[in-house]
Amino acid sequence: MNTKLQVLVIDDDAVVGRSFDRVLSDKGYQVSTALSGEEAMETIRETDFDVVFTDIKMPGMDGLEVAERIKARCPWTPVVVITGYGTPDNEAQASVLGVSGFVHKPLTPEIIESVTLKAVKEAEVILEAAEPCETQEVIAKTVSKAGVHSKAGLIAKNVGLFFAAPFVALAYVIALPFVGFYMFAKLGREAYVKKHLSK
Amino acid sequence: MSTIPPTQAQQNAWKKSPDSELYINPLPVRIWHWLNAVGFVALILTGIQIRYANMFNVLSFETAIKTHNWVAFTVIANYFVWLGFYLFSDRITVYHPELNPRKFFDKAFKQFMYYSYGIFKGEPSPHKVLAYDKFNPMQSITYQIVMLLVVPVQFITGIMMWDIKRFEGPIAMLGGIHTVDTVHVLIFIFFVSFTLVHAYMGALGHTPSAHFKEMFTGYEEAEEKSDQ
Ligand code: HEM
Repeated sequence: MNTKLQVLVIDDDAVVGRSFDRVLSDKGYQVSTALSGEEAMETIRETDFDVVFTDIKMPGMDGLEVAERIKARCPWTPVVVITGYGTPDNEAQASVLGVSGFVHKPLTPEIIESVTLKAVKEAEVILEAAEPCETQEVIAKTVSKAGVHSKAGLIAKNVGLFFAAPFVALAYVIALPFVGFYMFAKLGREAYVKKHLSK
Repeated sequence: MSTIPPTQAQQNAWKKSPDSELYINPLPVRIWHWLNAVGFVALILTGIQIRYANMFNVLSFETAIKTHNWVAFTVIANYFVWLGFYLFSDRITVYHPELNPRKFFDKAFKQFMYYSYGIFKGEPSPHKVLAYDKFNPMQSITYQIVMLLVVPVQFITGIMMWDIKRFEGPIAMLGGIHTVDTVHVLIFIFFVSFTLVHAYMGALGHTPSAHFKEMFTGYEEAEEKSDQ
């Protein structure tokens, strides 16, 4: 069921992620987005991506660190770095990390599509030529996608989550007043501290 | 972030490209939705006539019941268009729950603050619509509860009261006809307010008609386009 190629786009500018989704979602890709390296690391834990795009300059964890961590976790995942205008130093550094390529802003739909296709194709070539042990890893990766072991399992998981959804939602609704109260209190405290400190 | 502003030519390429619109509401969902909306309004009106027969006299009691039943069976059949579509589509992810409570509450709170504050200052919605993640957390839990819990319960209690004799056993199990009727009426009241709030929220896109158009065309109304 959910056999689409998974693309992750990491950029602190939400517009970039949306642009990828617009271009790729009709073409057999499922796009996820993250607004920071930290968020991406959480997302990566839940899904195995076929291609990752990351902006190079972000507050907090920057693109190079993201690339490094992803490569350490799953070396076969192509990581494409999105850069602004010519930043050769960063590019040299990124090449050392084994990123699959660079793409420069501003991005047009054509660029997004062709770069994605290229990254996927190159990854396929690498995987096809890989030694048996790596192939096994690849199979293990495919099988462990979404943490299930067959297509039937995947369908069962998708449908299971679907029917579980209203009950999870009800639990959230019941917890909402309490959590909401806590969040408002936190917001108020932050505002108070800010005012207090500014004096 | 180091971004060169796109040139005019590039901006135009974006706007003209058919790819720059995001397909969010597939045809079966659109057909289901509008037939369902018309059906619900008819059910609410005939329902009021049945429940408050002594206050209104637009339809005779018999006609009201007959219409209510026929429309109800159409709406039930139509529900399976919606259910079937999602069960057999990879877009089923749209109805998946957020299993990380922290993430959920964080996003829900931001969305709530947006509806109660940010929206009046013209800020953008904190939720970015994606093809496989199109609902914000508030929409998400509302639609999950409505479509997978409240609507089915309304169907079941309705069918039971349509043929009390045949469903004698199940009705007794649920605590008698009075309980079944009460549940049906409470959900009816819920649906009256849901429909009003839902239609109001539907007008809170970046233009008042944006979400309505989306439910007719299937494509997200891209914000950049509104200024053309
Ligand atoms: C009376 C008039 C109604 C209007 C004007 C209306 C309007 C809309 C609009 C504009 C949307 C798209 C925005 C969004 O996704 O939130 C939508 C979606 C939706 N509406 Fe309505 N609606 C009406 C009645 C109903 C009723 C009676 C129900 C259910 C009992 C309903 C259930 C839904 C659901 C579940 C969605 C999301 C559909 C999906 O993508 O799966 N609507 N509606």
